[in-house]
Amino acid sequence: MATVQPAAPRPAHIVGRGPEPLRAGKGTSFLWHKLHSLLGIVPIGAFLLEHLLSNFEALKGPIAYGEQVKFLNSLPLVRVLEWVFIFLPILYHGIYGVYIWLRGKSNIVYYPWAGNWMYLMQRYTGLIAFAYIGYHVATQRFMGVSLPENPGAAFAKVQHELANPWIVAVYVIAMIAVCWHFAYGVWLFAAKWGITPGETARRRFGYICVAFGVLLAGMGLASIWAFVGPKYENAPENVPLSYQRTEIREQRTEISCICAFPANLPGAPDSQDSIVDRAL
Amino acid sequence: MATRTVTFEFKRQASPEAAAVWEKFELEWRPGMNVVSAMMEIARNPVTADGRPTTPIAYDSNCLEEICGSCAMRINGKARMACSALVDNLEQPIKVEPLTKFPLVRDLQVDRSVLFENLMRVKAWVPVDGTYDLGSGPRVYPQEQEANYPLSNCISCCCCMEVCPQFNDVTGFVGAATIAQVKLFNNHPTGKVYKEERLRALAGDGGIQECGFAQNCVEVCPKQIPLTNAISDVGRDVVAQKIKDWLKS
Repeated sequence: MATVQPAAPRPAHIVGRGPEPLRAGKGTSFLWHKLHSLLGIVPIGAFLLEHLLSNFEALKGPIAYGEQVKFLNSLPLVRVLEWVFIFLPILYHGIYGVYIWLRGKSNIVYYPWAGNWMYLMQRYTGLIAFAYIGYHVATQRFMGVSLPENPGAAFAKVQHELANPWIVAVYVIAMIAVCWHFAYGVWLFAAKWGITPGETARRRFGYICVAFGVLLAGMGLASIWAFVGPKYENAPENVPLSYQRTEIREQRTEISCICAFPANLPGAPDSQDSIVDRAL
Repeated sequence: MATRTVTFEFKRQASPEAAAVWEKFELEWRPGMNVVSAMMEIARNPVTADGRPTTPIAYDSNCLEEICGSCAMRINGKARMACSALVDNLEQPIKVEPLTKFPLVRDLQVDRSVLFENLMRVKAWVPVDGTYDLGSGPRVYPQEQEANYPLSNCISCCCCMEVCPQFNDVTGFVGAATIAQVKLFNNHPTGKVYKEERLRALAGDGGIQECGFAQNCVEVCPKQIPLTNAISDVGRDVVAQKIKDWLKS
């Protein structure tokens, strides 16, 4: 069996080492790269979808938006979820992404091809997204009114933030950059993990990712409009949440107590609930 | 009738340490002229456009029909084979430079031995050596031949590596050509005996994970090798191999 011989040292007359050969099977960069790639889809991509869907509730007004914020903050172990599935993965993905960027060298000037443009755009959109997320988390999560305690203040808090047209511009640019980065990231994931090894498959999946990205960006921009548009202008600083529902539930309990029939008596109503519903 | 002329600018460098200089040449146009034939003509009469005698240009070339992979260089900024770079299809002055990612030897000559080193490190061969006759190998069906033939077309010109934004001194990325050869030899019924070792090798530092899927490799490849398809397929195999190794460890 042939065995690999170590390479002869480069002839002395050749200066400049050039890229070194593959360090076959050595090192850990494979794990860190793949972790970076996977985290972009799950949990970061999954969280992005959740966030955009939640934002979309803003179109239904301050109460619906506040209810959504309240619901998310009522999830079990929500602070742990937040750090383990949102903050830490984004931090790793962002920092390692910048590291990947610094190690590559774009040559778009000489090779202005579509894939090469997307390679470059993935880096710029990623940087915009990372910088924006840092600002967004600082101002909306850790500064001002604490929304986990006051979910009813969510709409007004975002509205105050977006009162500045420059901030709106930042949000619009960041929204497009984030959706671009995610949509192409999904495409890249499929290509590099061998889900779309065929050229036609990659082209078709490309169309799907474009449509997906446009849809996400459209939803995101519509949500921004909910805060800056005329419909909910000057929203109250804090809106009452879930009161009505709690009151109704209390009333139901009272009424059902009053109207309690033994269920097996002839002439008794089918269920106590129907009586309650009629009474309400 | 006035003779048509062709203008060239060559980037010259007498030695790796010497400073690079551009030299301009004007040659008489000839039908079917290409960059290598132009350099042959310059070698016959090495005089620059301003009449100054110079040395013949140093370059690698052999087959002159885009099959040996020797004469890769940057022509008007793009990496390609000089022998198939027809003068009639190029904008003048035709600027010719050496590949930028490999150690320079002289003028347009560079040392591309890193590719051969990489091919060795992934065992890009079919092991048939033995002390006795191993008999005939397993049959390769025409359908498999058909699928693998495009991968076997690699001429080791290194254009895919030259144009790759990830192939540089920092990453030490292995490059598309080697990954495609891993797919070729893993598909071979005898070559696949090394399949796991090749996949593990490609998970090393500078391995397949460094690919940024800019797809320049497949755009530039003079042999139209489906390099991105290979990267995708081998990428999946490497992940599967690593997971398998991890769970079995």
